[in-house]
Amino acid sequence: MERIFWVECPKCSDCFCCDYELRHSKYKLICPFCSEQFLDSESPEIDERL
Amino acid sequence: MAKDLKHFLDSVKKELPDDYVEVTRPVNPDNYDVTAILEHLTQKNQFPMVVFKNPSNLQGKEAGIPIVSNVFARRERCALALDWPVDQPNLPLSLEYARLERENVAPVEIKKGEAPVKEIILQGKEADPSILPGVRHYEMDLSPVFTMTLVMKDPDTGIYDITFAKAFYKGSQRLGISIHTPHLERIKNKYEERNQPAPVVIILGHHPAFFLGSLALSPYDSDDYATVGSFLREPLRLVESETWGKDFLVPADAEILIEGVIPPGEIEIVDPFGEVTRHYQAQCIRQAMDVTAITRRKDAIMQDIFSGHEGHWNLGAIPKEGSIYNAVNKRYGNVKAVHMPHSGIGRLACYISINKKKEGDGKLAGMAALLESWTIQVVVVVDDNIDVFNEKEVVWAMLAMVDPKRDVTMVDNVYTMFTTAMGHNKIIIDATKPLDRAFPKLLNVPESAMRRIKLDEWINQ
Repeated sequence: MERIFWVECPKCSDCFCCDYELRHSKYKLICPFCSEQFLDSESPEIDERL
Repeated sequence: MAKDLKHFLDSVKKELPDDYVEVTRPVNPDNYDVTAILEHLTQKNQFPMVVFKNPSNLQGKEAGIPIVSNVFARRERCALALDWPVDQPNLPLSLEYARLERENVAPVEIKKGEAPVKEIILQGKEADPSILPGVRHYEMDLSPVFTMTLVMKDPDTGIYDITFAKAFYKGSQRLGISIHTPHLERIKNKYEERNQPAPVVIILGHHPAFFLGSLALSPYDSDDYATVGSFLREPLRLVESETWGKDFLVPADAEILIEGVIPPGEIEIVDPFGEVTRHYQAQCIRQAMDVTAITRRKDAIMQDIFSGHEGHWNLGAIPKEGSIYNAVNKRYGNVKAVHMPHSGIGRLACYISINKKKEGDGKLAGMAALLESWTIQVVVVVDDNIDVFNEKEVVWAMLAMVDPKRDVTMVDNVYTMFTTAMGHNKIIIDATKPLDRAFPKLLNVPESAMRRIKLDEWINQ
């Protein structure tokens, strides 16, 4: 199973899942709920348990 | 008259009238109106094809373009699409698919003035996909997504490859497209290695046989336009594109085409999207697409796939069942039927019934199936008295016949396309009756009694 992580949007606090290729990457994630763009490092809560 | 989507809608109204539903109230596809209606129907165990006559577009205005969804949700409609008897929607349909897959019908090129898809041509700033009624399917989806096929052309051989791929609306004339199949990847990589923009066309509606044919397991060097012709049972009509002219031909009888290029090295964030697996595909990086033209019929209907539901699963099962049957039968000659059930999303699980002659036949059939289709994760092999299209019977066989120590085999570290908890592992379950030891017999009412008793002579129905 491909590895994913869950990220909390710093703006709306909703959570969504991302492919692990985006973890610690330069690409800004896009919240599907409020369209906020942010780096994963800016998220208040990340679930990346294996 | 060339086959097109309207031709098919008319045939459904005539041949399968209960399968045709129209929604005339205005719907906002970007606010889940479309998928909520389809989900309600699914929960009632109803799977009609639904035409949404009055959707709004991505600008929130009246689109003037209806949406049709759930086209493939019943095998009977898939049979109708392939001009196959609708009362033979199970294995005979799949075997016919496997036969059509081996044939080619060369496409024909027609003049621009004769091509319905050229009735309206939008270029420049007018070529903005926001004029279309894009469907937002699920709560965590990143955006509305166009869910039909892309076509690309190999720059060296000139062959065309058609594959289902998602296109996320990113604003203005930009899309993020999710190319994830080997053939399209190969074409895309050739352009990237040459640092050239890759031409790509999104096909948002055609006769369903076109899309069924696009799923054929054809070799890379075969032309998908010719393969699709076999499924349409007539030459696919092609016409020059707006962006590249005769250098890139497009389906003349499509409903809507979005022409564009993949700029080398440019990416977009796409997903989450509720996928075929019923889980969300996680957000990731995929290719960008800059739109160069949109062409359509005046009375175009946009097609959509209700992902992660029956139509999506039938698009997995039907193309594979026939080729798996042929592959296993070619090796061992003892297959009765093959089915890839909805419980396995039409891809992950495969049920095979065989005429077992000796111990080990079940495992051999399972191994042959795994070699034939890389999406399968669980193969269950049963005896030929079990109907593989009846899941209750298959599960009974698993419970009644399987000794896990002997009959369950895991094959590990084998690449699989779909991310499930099983990872890159596969399982063969031999649920055939053991022949090498004393074993109970299946109960039965005597055949003679079944023939003698005519139900309507005993019960008023």
